[in-house]
Amino acid sequence: MQSKTETGKHERHSYRAKLLIDAWRLFHDNLIGRIGVCLLIVFGLMALLSYIPPHVDPMYHPMTGVDPEISYASPPSTRHWLGTDNIGRDILSQLLTGARVAFLVGISSAFISIVIGTLIGIVAAYWGKMLDGLLMRFADMVMVMPSLLVILLLSVLFGQLSIWTIVILIALFRWPAVARVIRSQTLSLKQRPFIDMARVAGASHLRIIFRHILPNVLPMALLYMTFRITSAIIVEAALSFLGFGDPNTVSWGMMLQWVWKTGHMFQAPYWLLPPGLCISFMTLSFYMMGRAMEEVLDPRLRRVRNAKHAAA
Amino acid sequence: MNLKRMIFKRSIEILVVFFIILTGLFVLFHLAPGDPVSMMVDLTMTPEDVDRLVQQLGLDRPLWTQYLLYLKNFFRGNFGTSFHYGRPVIEIISERLPATILLFTTATILAAMAGVWCGKLIAWHKGGPLDATVTIFSLLCSTLFLPWIALLSIWFFAFRVGWFPLSGMITPEIWVLPNLGFWAKATDILHHLLLPLLTLCIVNTGAYLLIMRSSMLETIKEDYIITARAKGLTEKQVRNHHAAPNAALPVITSVGLSLAFSVNGGALTETVFSWPGIGRELIFAVSNSDYPLAMASFMFIALVVLVANLIVDILYAYLDPRIRY
Amino acid sequence: MLAKRRKETFNHLIFVYMLFLILGCGPGNSDENMLRIGLMEEPRTTNIWLASDTNSRKVLSLIYQPLYTYDPDTLELVPWLAAAMPQFDPETISYTVALRHAKWSDGTPVTADDVVFTVDLIRRFKVPRYFSQWQFVEKTVAVDDTTVRFFLSEPRAIFLTKTLVNYIVPKSQWAPIAQQAENTKKPLVALLNAKISSPMGSGPYVIEQWRQGAFLHLINNPHFFGKNLVISNRRLGPYADSILFKIYSTADVAILALKRNAVDYFWWPIQPGYIDGLRGNENTKVYLSDRSALYYMGFNVRHAPFSDPAIRRAVSFLIDKEFIIERVLQGFAAPMDSIVPSENTFWHADGLPRYGRGMTRSDRIKAAYRLLSEGGYTWDRPPVNDAGSVVSPSRIILPDGQPMADFAILTPPADYDPARATCGVIIQEWLKDLGLPASARPMSFGALLQRIKDRHDFETFILGYGQLSLDPDYLRNFFHSANDRPGGWNMSGYRNPVFDRLADESGKAMDPSRRRYLVNDMQRIIMADVPYIPLYNPVAIEAVNTNRFAHWEQMIDGIGNIWSICRVRPQTRQAARDIDN
Repeated sequence: MQSKTETGKHERHSYRAKLLIDAWRLFHDNLIGRIGVCLLIVFGLMALLSYIPPHVDPMYHPMTGVDPEISYASPPSTRHWLGTDNIGRDILSQLLTGARVAFLVGISSAFISIVIGTLIGIVAAYWGKMLDGLLMRFADMVMVMPSLLVILLLSVLFGQLSIWTIVILIALFRWPAVARVIRSQTLSLKQRPFIDMARVAGASHLRIIFRHILPNVLPMALLYMTFRITSAIIVEAALSFLGFGDPNTVSWGMMLQWVWKTGHMFQAPYWLLPPGLCISFMTLSFYMMGRAMEEVLDPRLRRVRNAKHAAA
Repeated sequence: MNLKRMIFKRSIEILVVFFIILTGLFVLFHLAPGDPVSMMVDLTMTPEDVDRLVQQLGLDRPLWTQYLLYLKNFFRGNFGTSFHYGRPVIEIISERLPATILLFTTATILAAMAGVWCGKLIAWHKGGPLDATVTIFSLLCSTLFLPWIALLSIWFFAFRVGWFPLSGMITPEIWVLPNLGFWAKATDILHHLLLPLLTLCIVNTGAYLLIMRSSMLETIKEDYIITARAKGLTEKQVRNHHAAPNAALPVITSVGLSLAFSVNGGALTETVFSWPGIGRELIFAVSNSDYPLAMASFMFIALVVLVANLIVDILYAYLDPRIRY
Repeated sequence: MLAKRRKETFNHLIFVYMLFLILGCGPGNSDENMLRIGLMEEPRTTNIWLASDTNSRKVLSLIYQPLYTYDPDTLELVPWLAAAMPQFDPETISYTVALRHAKWSDGTPVTADDVVFTVDLIRRFKVPRYFSQWQFVEKTVAVDDTTVRFFLSEPRAIFLTKTLVNYIVPKSQWAPIAQQAENTKKPLVALLNAKISSPMGSGPYVIEQWRQGAFLHLINNPHFFGKNLVISNRRLGPYADSILFKIYSTADVAILALKRNAVDYFWWPIQPGYIDGLRGNENTKVYLSDRSALYYMGFNVRHAPFSDPAIRRAVSFLIDKEFIIERVLQGFAAPMDSIVPSENTFWHADGLPRYGRGMTRSDRIKAAYRLLSEGGYTWDRPPVNDAGSVVSPSRIILPDGQPMADFAILTPPADYDPARATCGVIIQEWLKDLGLPASARPMSFGALLQRIKDRHDFETFILGYGQLSLDPDYLRNFFHSANDRPGGWNMSGYRNPVFDRLADESGKAMDPSRRRYLVNDMQRIIMADVPYIPLYNPVAIEAVNTNRFAHWEQMIDGIGNIWSICRVRPQTRQAARDIDN
């Protein structure tokens, strides 16, 4: 392990760069991480490709385009590679658009929940005492609540949820785990000499938090973001599946709802399979990335790994 | 003694949390657009019909009074009348709750047991191709989208192969005929239970397996395992009687932590399988704006989650000799 | 030791598993005479006054009976609990009805007292939905045990066609409940929430067992008055000893059950997508029946921009009803050109404006463009360019010089009714062709009704009446200015003194031909002003399993009616085939 004392700016930079390279190597070595990244690239491509079909022909518009000749659910053909839904819309272009929506929902709501979680975690650990106790109790409470059902209940406030409301609602119920981890990290950071030094040097609280604590907890926050992405995608899909999604958005959960509610479950396996596969594999890919990153970031796990390597 | 104090402390906490949830629900349903009457109203009612209902439901009282009344009614076990069914909510809940508890507890316990058992074996073969395959496979299982896999298993096992009934909890014909006894009914329920159970287990087992596996790997390095080996016990004995019981503790914790997640999954499973449970009723109530039923269903689900958390904590403390609160 | 015990447990488990496989797999060899009917959702209640959902009403319609009902062929009124057609006395504006010798399910006779009690109950409690139909009945008198006389405060056309087809409830069961309810602070709510676990009726069946969440079991009422009686040339049964209502929450499962002989009839409209599969199956038969339904797009005509009839007519031109029917309803619907469905032959008016029927898309856009430009609407870039071809327009500018603000087409959510939600999206795209900034906005049904019916906070919406009564009185209700108030039926806020006068007159017209003349005029006014654009009237698609029962009676709205229930007969498989051929 490298020495952790910092002697100069230059050295610190190179240290960080080395850490990064180190991390990447570890990550690259990791089978699970590799699979995750590959899958993710596929989904990224899908999301990018989703802009193409509507330009080829208006009938490939995922929401409003219908095939002029087909007005029923039809199996895959040369014209519709994955078939059409019950009113003649192209399933492939819906699937591609779904990837875009999943990324949008996953990343934006994970980002918001990370911001909330990190802030609460740092604040709780930094000021401690009453505030800490209160915030953590609150986090516990939110954590034990089944978020999907809570969001369902909250949907009565809105009549119909829009995709952005869903994003924010998911974020609001997904921060506690992040807050807990960041809090414990901050607590251990608080014991480090450089924080004391900064305080003695007269740095303000804000400066200490943003300059000294935040950069150090950021990797952990990023790690948790990948896990939040998976849960955000799942919650959105489940909401849409139950009929509480944004009706103007073509998401994978929405597609599943259409199959289910229009009664094509037994008749159209070509329509039932793709959206579910996509949801499952996308969450899998983020989850795998997260696990791989966890091993890189968490020295305790790395030790296990190294020990395993040594033993092998 | 200490355990008792821990239980006491946690119970108080649960009460406070529950009170907060109660209040939250009250506020939520008063902010909700559409007075509760809008559900009872349909296109064929006249405005006079509607007015009479609003007046009779007592919705014109001050909010504070309504809140106190709500709390009082709650502690008396009076959750109001469902708009949809026109029956006391408590009646509906008490019909649905057993079905949920049957499915939910069976699934959780089975999944945890299967996870522990498989994880134990896999950890013993660590590093091999079997380990890698099972690890990736269980990762895949634990991220499967539950409603989809439920639909898929209905499509395959119930529709294609025809081993299981398509949905529901009982076959009415069996229950209507007077000459069939208890066992026929019990097996009928069991037959309906299997497929949802299988679905829930597929998704939940993977996660528990992975936790058990890594926990086993940690435990193996502990001193007492080395001692056990040194005593000349067989590998199997070491694994089953020394390593596994201790390694299973994190699984219990994670059962507690993932309860909320499992409840979501339970509600989805119930909906897809038309299992007449409380989660399905909640989803149904929300989409019908049946506020009293939605509120009460949620309260009971929250209560089940909180109590189950407490039980898991107690179990953990009881099983792990190192932990004393 | 431990291992041995475990092994034993394991063996036990295997044994139990085998046991239930053997027992559970048998398709519950139910008794031959049990009619199994599938429902989509569980009935809400067995309290007739609360029952507003179709499923409760289906079950209760087999228990409670009305004085008169509709003939399945002619749709004319036929005496049911009544012995003959009512006698009208113009002097006192009263109707006299003689009752049959019918009995309640406990064996006591149905008397004039029960009828008087029912009417009084509705009027005293002002029971929602029923009160407005009995409001004008000033007095109900039991002349003798089997004769009732209704005194009306004024002549009302709907008395015969709507009021007299309401159910009669037994005094012996309801009087104590009503009394108890009246002593509470909230009598109406107490009445609606009263628990009636076994409603006593005079119909062919009574409830035997209701297992909430699973099934409802009805058995034969031995005292049913219609047994072996011939009404409307039909000999009534019922022939099935019992009825088992099974609850299927998804149509998929129910359809499969039909094909696999697990249910005899699925009492729920089927999506067109299932038809081919059902027709191809030798066990099932599909019934297509006309419906009396109205699915329409409505405008808020209280304020701009849709207060201008020109823009509403332009929208009528843009909406391609045939496309909607072809695409969204897979052809199983009829386009509507009036508020009164054309299937309702007596009341439907002919020769109404048909707004672009049969036109191509670009012709429709041009026609609408012409209408709007004449009405003073302008565009920076018009939808039709100087060369006369259709282009993508800029936002429309209203006659007052303001560009039109974004507005929503409110629809029910897709899981409530996929057809209407999809229509919203399609119409949104059509309106954009003319620079009308529309966006479809599906929302939950309760919130939707509240915005439209109570708060009048909307511009346009798509709604429907799944079961429009045969009597066209709704025309008056929908568009009379007196009903333009929060919660009122006139959701559009349409106000037209000429229409009001015609409507008032038609409500009092006792002579059918005179009333028909007035109703035709009313339809003409509405279709010229189009506060509602009628879209489609779906076909009722239903399916039965032919292996065990036959002789379903088809009438408007399908085969799920009291006639069918009284007429279906158990069949051997061979006999069922013969009937089919």
